[in-house]
Amino acid sequence: MRVFSFLEHTMTTLFEPPILKTDPQVRRFEDVRQLLPDVEQPTPIVRLGRLAAARELYLKLEWLNPFGSIKDRTAAYMLSELLPEMEGRRLIEASSGNTALALAALANLEDIPVTVTIPDGAPIEKRVLLRMLGAEVLETPDDLCPVDLPADGAIALARAIAGSRGGEAYAWTDQYSNRANVRAHYETTGPEVWRQTQGQVRAFVAGFGTCGTISGVGRFLKEQDPSIRIVAVEPNPGHRLPGLKSFAEAKQPEILDQSVIDQVVRIDDETAYSTTLSLFRQEGLMVGPSTGAIVAASLALDDPGLTVAISPDSGFKYASYFAQFLDDQQQRKDEDARHPHP
Amino acid sequence: MTNNNERTKMPDTLTHDESLDTSGFLCPLPVYQAGQVLIRLAPGQVLRLVTTDRGSLQDIPALARQRGDELLAVEDHGATQLFWIRKNA
Repeated sequence: MRVFSFLEHTMTTLFEPPILKTDPQVRRFEDVRQLLPDVEQPTPIVRLGRLAAARELYLKLEWLNPFGSIKDRTAAYMLSELLPEMEGRRLIEASSGNTALALAALANLEDIPVTVTIPDGAPIEKRVLLRMLGAEVLETPDDLCPVDLPADGAIALARAIAGSRGGEAYAWTDQYSNRANVRAHYETTGPEVWRQTQGQVRAFVAGFGTCGTISGVGRFLKEQDPSIRIVAVEPNPGHRLPGLKSFAEAKQPEILDQSVIDQVVRIDDETAYSTTLSLFRQEGLMVGPSTGAIVAASLALDDPGLTVAISPDSGFKYASYFAQFLDDQQQRKDEDARHPHP
Repeated sequence: MTNNNERTKMPDTLTHDESLDTSGFLCPLPVYQAGQVLIRLAPGQVLRLVTTDRGSLQDIPALARQRGDELLAVEDHGATQLFWIRKNA
Protein backbone atom coordinates (compact mmCIF):
# COMPACT_ATOMS: atom_id res chain seq x y z
CA MET A 1 0.00 0.00 0.00
CA ARG A 2 2.81 2.34 0.99
CA VAL A 3 4.69 1.43 -2.25
CA PHE A 4 1.59 2.07 -4.31
CA SER A 5 1.12 5.49 -2.76
CA PHE A 6 4.72 6.36 -3.43
CA LEU A 7 4.41 5.25 -7.06
CA GLU A 8 1.15 7.06 -7.48
CA HIS A 9 2.68 10.24 -6.10
CA THR A 10 5.73 9.89 -8.33
CA MET A 11 3.66 9.32 -11.45
CA THR A 12 1.39 12.23 -10.65
CA THR A 13 4.33 14.52 -10.09
CA LEU A 14 6.03 13.37 -13.28
CA PHE A 15 3.04 13.74 -15.55
CA GLU A 16 1.36 16.80 -14.04
CA PRO A 17 1.99 19.84 -16.19
CA PRO A 18 4.52 22.04 -14.38
CA ILE A 19 3.15 25.23 -12.83
CA LEU A 20 5.29 28.11 -13.93
CA LYS A 21 6.16 30.23 -10.94
CA THR A 22 4.95 33.39 -12.62
CA ASP A 23 2.26 31.89 -14.81
CA PRO A 24 -0.40 34.61 -15.13
CA GLN A 25 -2.99 31.94 -15.91
CA VAL A 26 -2.73 30.37 -12.46
CA ARG A 27 -1.92 33.67 -10.74
CA ARG A 28 0.87 32.15 -8.68
CA PHE A 29 3.78 34.44 -7.88
CA GLU A 30 6.95 34.17 -5.83
CA ASP A 31 7.38 37.90 -5.15
CA VAL A 32 4.90 40.77 -4.99
CA ARG A 33 6.92 42.64 -7.64
CA GLN A 34 5.90 40.02 -10.18
CA LEU A 35 2.40 41.49 -9.89
CA LEU A 36 3.53 44.74 -11.46
CA PRO A 37 1.68 45.20 -14.75
CA ASP A 38 2.89 45.05 -18.32
CA VAL A 39 1.34 44.40 -21.68
CA GLU A 40 1.19 40.64 -20.95
CA GLN A 41 -0.36 41.23 -17.53
CA PRO A 42 -2.38 44.44 -17.88
CA THR A 43 -4.67 46.05 -15.35
CA PRO A 44 -8.25 45.44 -16.52
CA ILE A 45 -10.47 47.84 -18.42
CA VAL A 46 -14.16 47.73 -17.47
CA ARG A 47 -17.03 49.27 -19.44
CA LEU A 48 -19.28 51.77 -17.66
CA GLY A 49 -22.44 50.12 -18.94
CA ARG A 50 -24.90 51.92 -16.69
CA LEU A 51 -23.40 55.34 -16.10
CA ALA A 52 -22.54 55.75 -19.79
CA ALA A 53 -24.83 53.20 -21.45
CA ALA A 54 -24.86 54.95 -24.82
CA ARG A 55 -21.07 55.19 -24.99
CA GLU A 56 -18.12 52.88 -25.23
CA LEU A 57 -16.41 54.25 -22.14
CA TYR A 58 -13.98 51.96 -20.34
CA LEU A 59 -12.27 52.57 -17.02
CA LYS A 60 -8.76 51.20 -16.53
CA LEU A 61 -8.66 49.95 -12.96
CA GLU A 62 -5.23 50.90 -11.70
CA TRP A 63 -6.07 50.11 -8.08
CA LEU A 64 -5.54 46.46 -9.03
CA ASN A 65 -1.82 47.10 -9.09
CA PRO A 66 -0.01 45.43 -6.16
CA PHE A 67 0.38 48.57 -4.03
CA GLY A 68 -2.99 49.99 -4.95
CA SER A 69 -2.53 52.66 -7.58
CA ILE A 70 -1.23 53.71 -10.98
CA LYS A 71 1.87 55.03 -9.20
CA ASP A 72 3.16 51.47 -8.78
CA ARG A 73 4.38 51.69 -12.37
CA THR A 74 6.17 55.00 -11.79
CA ALA A 75 7.72 53.91 -8.51
CA ALA A 76 9.02 50.64 -9.96
CA TYR A 77 10.67 52.41 -12.90
CA MET A 78 12.18 55.20 -10.79
CA LEU A 79 13.53 52.86 -8.13
CA SER A 80 14.95 50.47 -10.68
CA GLU A 81 17.01 53.33 -12.19
CA LEU A 82 18.27 54.51 -8.81
CA LEU A 83 19.16 51.11 -7.33
CA PRO A 84 22.84 51.18 -8.37
CA GLU A 85 23.29 54.48 -6.48
CA MET A 86 21.40 53.58 -3.31
CA GLU A 87 24.15 52.05 -1.14
CA GLY A 88 23.91 53.68 2.30
CA ARG A 89 21.35 56.28 1.17
CA ARG A 90 17.69 57.04 1.86
CA LEU A 91 15.06 57.63 -0.80
CA ILE A 92 13.16 60.88 -0.53
CA GLU A 93 10.02 61.80 -2.47
CA ALA A 94 7.25 64.38 -2.36
CA SER A 95 3.92 62.70 -2.84
CA SER A 96 0.24 63.06 -2.12
CA GLY A 97 0.51 59.43 -1.04
CA ASN A 98 0.27 56.89 -3.84
CA THR A 99 3.80 57.20 -5.23
CA ALA A 100 5.16 57.20 -1.70
CA LEU A 101 3.23 54.05 -0.78
CA ALA A 102 4.54 52.17 -3.80
CA LEU A 103 8.08 53.46 -3.30
CA ALA A 104 8.06 52.57 0.39
CA ALA A 105 6.80 49.06 -0.29
CA LEU A 106 9.30 48.46 -3.09
CA ALA A 107 12.18 50.04 -1.15
CA ASN A 108 11.42 47.83 1.85
CA LEU A 109 12.06 44.83 -0.38
CA GLU A 110 15.53 46.24 -1.05
CA ASP A 111 16.15 47.31 2.60
CA ILE A 112 16.24 50.97 1.57
CA PRO A 113 14.82 53.51 4.05
CA VAL A 114 12.36 56.11 2.75
CA THR A 115 11.47 59.70 3.70
CA VAL A 116 8.23 61.14 2.36
CA THR A 117 7.18 64.79 2.30
CA ILE A 118 3.40 64.87 2.06
CA PRO A 119 0.85 67.71 2.07
CA ASP A 120 -0.71 67.93 5.53
CA GLY A 121 -4.13 67.83 3.87
CA ALA A 122 -3.52 64.35 2.45
CA PRO A 123 -5.99 61.73 3.74
CA ILE A 124 -5.19 60.25 7.14
CA GLU A 125 -5.51 56.78 5.61
CA LYS A 126 -2.50 57.35 3.35
CA ARG A 127 -0.39 58.87 6.12
CA VAL A 128 -1.13 55.89 8.38
CA LEU A 129 -0.35 53.36 5.64
CA LEU A 130 3.01 55.08 5.05
CA ARG A 131 3.80 54.76 8.74
CA MET A 132 2.76 51.10 8.60
CA LEU A 133 5.34 50.66 5.85
CA GLY A 134 7.95 52.26 8.08
CA ALA A 135 8.47 55.44 6.05
CA GLU A 136 9.56 58.67 7.74
CA VAL A 137 6.63 61.00 7.03
CA LEU A 138 7.13 64.79 7.00
CA GLU A 139 3.78 66.52 6.75
CA THR A 140 3.91 70.02 5.27
CA PRO A 141 1.39 72.72 4.44
CA ASP A 142 1.20 73.52 0.73
CA ASP A 143 2.17 77.09 1.56
CA LEU A 144 5.20 76.02 3.61
CA CYS A 145 7.34 78.47 1.68
CA PRO A 146 5.09 81.47 2.30
CA VAL A 147 6.65 83.81 -0.25
CA ASP A 148 7.60 81.29 -2.93
CA LEU A 149 4.57 80.62 -5.07
CA PRO A 150 3.30 78.40 -6.60
CA ALA A 151 2.44 76.55 -3.46
CA ASP A 152 3.99 73.07 -3.52
CA GLY A 153 5.32 72.83 0.01
CA ALA A 154 5.96 69.09 -0.07
CA ILE A 155 7.97 69.32 -3.30
CA ALA A 156 9.92 72.34 -2.04
CA LEU A 157 10.79 70.53 1.19
CA ALA A 158 11.98 67.37 -0.59
CA ARG A 159 14.10 69.51 -2.92
CA ALA A 160 15.53 71.43 0.04
CA ILE A 161 16.42 68.29 2.01
CA ALA A 162 18.11 66.68 -1.00
CA GLY A 163 19.95 69.91 -1.88
CA SER A 164 21.04 71.01 1.61
CA ARG A 165 24.04 70.18 3.76
CA GLY A 166 23.86 66.42 4.29
CA GLY A 167 21.64 66.01 1.24
CA GLU A 168 24.05 63.53 -0.34
CA ALA A 169 22.60 60.95 2.05
CA TYR A 170 19.31 61.21 0.11
CA ALA A 171 18.35 60.09 -3.37
CA TRP A 172 15.43 62.22 -4.55
CA THR A 173 13.27 60.32 -7.03
CA ASP A 174 11.53 63.59 -8.06
CA GLN A 175 8.58 62.13 -9.95
CA TYR A 176 7.70 65.58 -11.32
CA SER A 177 10.83 65.79 -13.46
CA ASN A 178 11.94 62.15 -13.62
CA ARG A 179 11.74 60.84 -17.21
CA ALA A 180 11.34 57.31 -15.85
CA ASN A 181 7.84 58.39 -14.81
CA VAL A 182 6.90 59.04 -18.45
CA ARG A 183 8.74 55.97 -19.68
CA ALA A 184 6.78 53.73 -17.28
CA HIS A 185 3.56 54.76 -19.03
CA TYR A 186 5.02 54.85 -22.52
CA GLU A 187 6.26 51.27 -22.11
CA THR A 188 3.40 49.73 -20.08
CA THR A 189 0.12 51.69 -19.74
CA GLY A 190 0.07 52.92 -23.34
CA PRO A 191 0.73 49.55 -24.98
CA GLU A 192 -1.80 47.94 -22.61
CA VAL A 193 -4.54 50.36 -23.69
CA TRP A 194 -3.69 49.85 -27.35
CA ARG A 195 -3.77 46.06 -27.05
CA GLN A 196 -6.85 45.89 -24.82
CA THR A 197 -8.83 47.97 -27.33
CA GLN A 198 -7.31 46.12 -30.31
CA GLY A 199 -6.20 49.47 -31.65
CA GLN A 200 -9.76 50.82 -31.67
CA VAL A 201 -9.31 53.42 -28.91
CA ARG A 202 -10.43 56.89 -30.05
CA ALA A 203 -9.86 58.89 -26.87
CA PHE A 204 -7.78 58.61 -23.72
CA VAL A 205 -8.57 60.57 -20.55
CA ALA A 206 -6.27 61.08 -17.54
CA GLY A 207 -5.64 63.73 -14.91
CA PHE A 208 -3.02 66.43 -14.62
CA GLY A 209 -0.84 65.38 -11.68
CA THR A 210 2.81 64.57 -12.14
CA CYS A 211 1.76 64.26 -15.81
CA GLY A 212 3.68 61.00 -16.30
CA THR A 213 0.53 59.14 -17.37
CA ILE A 214 -0.85 61.69 -19.82
CA SER A 215 2.59 62.34 -21.34
CA GLY A 216 3.68 58.70 -21.62
CA VAL A 217 0.37 57.17 -22.74
CA GLY A 218 -0.37 60.20 -24.91
CA ARG A 219 2.93 59.90 -26.76
CA PHE A 220 2.54 56.15 -27.28
CA LEU A 221 -1.03 56.40 -28.59
CA LYS A 222 -0.24 59.37 -30.86
CA GLU A 223 2.57 57.31 -32.38
CA GLN A 224 0.07 54.55 -33.19
CA ASP A 225 -2.60 56.91 -34.51
CA PRO A 226 -2.26 60.71 -34.33
CA SER A 227 -6.04 61.16 -34.48
CA ILE A 228 -6.59 59.59 -31.04
CA ARG A 229 -7.79 62.36 -28.71
CA ILE A 230 -5.73 62.83 -25.56
CA VAL A 231 -7.77 64.61 -22.90
CA ALA A 232 -6.35 65.98 -19.64
CA VAL A 233 -8.42 66.70 -16.53
CA GLU A 234 -7.60 69.67 -14.32
CA PRO A 235 -9.25 70.50 -10.97
CA ASN A 236 -10.03 73.99 -9.72
CA PRO A 237 -7.60 75.85 -7.43
CA GLY A 238 -8.08 74.87 -3.79
CA HIS A 239 -9.49 71.48 -4.82
CA ARG A 240 -9.69 68.38 -2.63
CA LEU A 241 -8.75 65.78 -5.23
CA PRO A 242 -5.47 64.16 -4.14
CA GLY A 243 -3.15 63.30 -6.98
CA LEU A 244 -4.53 65.97 -9.31
CA LYS A 245 -2.95 69.39 -9.81
CA SER A 246 -4.39 72.74 -10.79
CA PHE A 247 -1.72 74.66 -12.66
CA ALA A 248 -3.34 77.89 -11.49
CA GLU A 249 -1.72 77.13 -8.12
CA ALA A 250 0.98 74.52 -8.81
CA LYS A 251 3.99 74.57 -11.08
CA GLN A 252 3.69 72.58 -14.32
CA PRO A 253 5.91 69.49 -14.05
CA GLU A 254 8.96 69.41 -16.30
CA ILE A 255 7.87 66.08 -17.75
CA LEU A 256 4.52 67.38 -19.03
CA ASP A 257 4.44 66.98 -22.82
CA GLN A 258 1.85 69.53 -23.93
CA SER A 259 2.30 68.50 -27.56
CA VAL A 260 0.31 65.28 -27.07
CA ILE A 261 -2.67 66.92 -25.31
CA ASP A 262 -5.65 67.86 -27.47
CA GLN A 263 -8.00 69.14 -24.79
CA VAL A 264 -8.13 70.09 -21.12
CA VAL A 265 -11.40 69.65 -19.20
CA ARG A 266 -11.80 71.41 -15.86
CA ILE A 267 -13.87 69.67 -13.20
CA ASP A 268 -14.97 71.08 -9.85
CA ASP A 269 -14.91 69.07 -6.62
CA GLU A 270 -18.68 68.75 -6.35
CA THR A 271 -18.94 67.19 -9.81
CA ALA A 272 -15.97 64.91 -9.11
CA TYR A 273 -17.38 63.62 -5.81
CA SER A 274 -20.91 63.24 -7.20
CA THR A 275 -19.56 61.20 -10.10
CA THR A 276 -17.51 59.11 -7.66
CA LEU A 277 -20.74 58.40 -5.77
CA SER A 278 -22.41 57.35 -9.04
CA LEU A 279 -19.53 55.00 -9.81
CA PHE A 280 -19.96 53.39 -6.38
CA ARG A 281 -23.74 53.09 -6.61
CA GLN A 282 -24.38 52.46 -10.31
CA GLU A 283 -21.30 50.55 -11.40
CA GLY A 284 -20.13 48.87 -8.19
CA LEU A 285 -16.75 50.53 -8.68
CA MET A 286 -15.33 51.79 -5.38
CA VAL A 287 -12.98 54.35 -6.85
CA GLY A 288 -11.09 57.31 -5.45
CA PRO A 289 -12.23 60.90 -6.03
CA SER A 290 -9.75 61.59 -8.85
CA THR A 291 -11.47 58.81 -10.83
CA GLY A 292 -14.74 60.68 -10.33
CA ALA A 293 -13.15 63.78 -11.86
CA ILE A 294 -11.73 61.81 -14.82
CA VAL A 295 -15.04 60.04 -15.53
CA ALA A 296 -16.95 63.33 -15.24
CA ALA A 297 -14.59 64.85 -17.81
CA SER A 298 -15.04 61.82 -20.09
CA LEU A 299 -18.82 62.23 -19.93
CA ALA A 300 -18.49 65.93 -20.73
CA LEU A 301 -16.86 65.18 -24.10
CA ASP A 302 -18.82 64.99 -27.34
CA ASP A 303 -18.83 61.21 -27.73
CA PRO A 304 -15.46 60.46 -29.38
CA GLY A 305 -16.08 56.71 -29.70
CA LEU A 306 -14.20 54.07 -27.73
CA THR A 307 -12.71 55.91 -24.79
CA VAL A 308 -10.37 54.68 -22.07
CA ALA A 309 -10.31 56.70 -18.84
CA ILE A 310 -7.83 56.11 -16.07
CA SER A 311 -8.96 55.16 -12.57
CA PRO A 312 -5.78 55.99 -10.62
CA ASP A 313 -6.79 54.30 -7.37
CA SER A 314 -9.60 52.91 -5.25
CA GLY A 315 -11.72 54.69 -2.67
CA PHE A 316 -10.43 52.80 0.33
CA LYS A 317 -7.77 55.40 1.13
CA TYR A 318 -10.32 58.23 1.10
CA ALA A 319 -12.92 57.04 3.60
CA SER A 320 -12.36 60.17 5.70
CA TYR A 321 -12.88 62.44 2.67
CA PHE A 322 -16.03 60.53 1.67
CA ALA A 323 -17.39 60.82 5.23
CA GLN A 324 -17.04 64.60 4.97
CA PHE A 325 -18.67 64.62 1.51
CA LEU A 326 -21.62 62.52 2.69
CA ASP A 327 -22.07 64.68 5.81
CA ASP A 328 -22.04 67.86 3.70
CA GLN A 329 -24.50 66.32 1.27
CA GLN A 330 -26.83 65.33 4.11
CA GLN A 331 -26.54 68.80 5.61
CA ARG A 332 -27.59 70.36 2.30
CA LYS A 333 -30.54 67.98 2.06
CA ASP A 334 -31.62 68.86 5.61
CA GLU A 335 -31.25 72.56 4.82
CA ASP A 336 -33.36 72.19 1.68
CA ALA A 337 -36.03 70.31 3.67
CA ARG A 338 -36.18 73.11 6.24
CA HIS A 339 -36.27 75.84 3.62
CA PRO A 340 -37.91 74.35 0.51
CA HIS A 341 -37.40 76.32 -2.68
CA PRO A 342 -40.61 77.87 -3.98
CA MET B 1 26.27 93.78 8.03
CA THR B 2 23.39 94.61 10.31
CA ASN B 3 20.28 96.16 8.85
CA ASN B 4 18.92 99.33 10.35
CA ASN B 5 15.69 97.77 11.49
CA GLU B 6 14.80 98.94 14.99
CA ARG B 7 14.62 95.29 16.04
CA THR B 8 18.37 94.92 15.59
CA LYS B 9 18.93 96.99 18.71
CA MET B 10 17.29 94.35 20.81
CA PRO B 11 19.31 91.08 20.47
CA ASP B 12 21.94 92.00 23.08
CA THR B 13 19.23 92.07 25.68
CA LEU B 14 17.29 89.06 24.37
CA THR B 15 17.39 85.64 25.91
CA HIS B 16 16.07 82.50 24.28
CA ASP B 17 14.75 79.15 25.42
CA GLU B 18 15.88 77.12 22.43
CA SER B 19 18.32 77.65 19.61
CA LEU B 20 18.17 76.14 16.12
CA ASP B 21 21.04 76.35 13.63
CA THR B 22 19.96 75.63 10.07
CA SER B 23 23.22 76.71 8.43
CA GLY B 24 23.61 75.07 5.04
CA PHE B 25 19.92 74.27 4.76
CA LEU B 26 17.99 75.58 1.75
CA CYS B 27 14.61 77.20 2.07
CA PRO B 28 12.00 76.01 3.04
CA LEU B 29 13.87 73.57 5.31
CA PRO B 30 14.62 76.28 7.92
CA VAL B 31 10.92 77.26 7.85
CA TYR B 32 9.87 73.63 8.33
CA GLN B 33 12.33 72.99 11.16
CA ALA B 34 11.55 76.29 12.90
CA GLY B 35 7.85 75.45 12.66
CA GLN B 36 8.47 72.05 14.27
CA VAL B 37 10.37 73.63 17.18
CA LEU B 38 7.74 76.34 17.67
CA ILE B 39 5.03 73.68 17.90
CA ARG B 40 7.02 72.07 20.72
CA LEU B 41 7.78 75.28 22.67
CA ALA B 42 5.49 76.53 25.40
CA PRO B 43 3.60 79.79 24.77
CA GLY B 44 5.81 82.79 25.51
CA GLN B 45 9.09 80.90 24.98
CA VAL B 46 11.64 82.28 22.51
CA LEU B 47 13.39 80.50 19.64
CA ARG B 48 16.72 81.82 18.35
CA LEU B 49 17.11 80.72 14.73
CA VAL B 50 20.24 80.81 12.57
CA THR B 51 19.87 80.57 8.78
CA THR B 52 22.16 80.94 5.79
CA ASP B 53 19.53 80.96 3.01
CA ARG B 54 18.68 84.60 2.30
CA GLY B 55 15.14 83.57 1.37
CA SER B 56 14.65 83.21 5.12
CA LEU B 57 14.57 87.01 5.43
CA GLN B 58 11.15 86.85 3.81
CA ASP B 59 10.03 83.36 4.79
CA ILE B 60 10.64 83.50 8.54
CA PRO B 61 8.70 86.76 9.11
CA ALA B 62 5.90 85.28 6.97
CA LEU B 63 5.98 82.09 9.08
CA ALA B 64 5.69 84.14 12.28
CA ARG B 65 2.78 86.12 10.83
CA GLN B 66 1.00 82.95 9.69
CA ARG B 67 1.38 81.29 13.07
CA GLY B 68 0.59 84.42 15.06
CA ASP B 69 4.02 84.38 16.73
CA GLU B 70 6.00 87.52 17.52
CA LEU B 71 9.19 88.19 15.57
CA LEU B 72 11.22 89.96 18.23
CA ALA B 73 14.36 90.68 16.23
CA VAL B 74 16.20 90.03 12.98
CA GLU B 75 19.92 90.36 12.30
CA ASP B 76 21.20 90.15 8.75
CA HIS B 77 24.95 89.49 8.59
CA GLY B 78 24.98 88.78 4.88
CA ALA B 79 26.02 85.13 4.96
CA THR B 80 24.09 84.44 8.15
CA GLN B 81 20.74 85.60 9.44
CA LEU B 82 19.53 85.49 13.04
CA PHE B 83 15.91 85.54 14.17
CA TRP B 84 14.31 85.67 17.60
CA ILE B 85 10.71 84.43 17.61
CA ARG B 86 8.43 84.38 20.64
CA LYS B 87 5.74 81.71 20.49
CA ASN B 88 2.25 83.14 20.67
CA ALA B 89 0.79 83.14 24.14
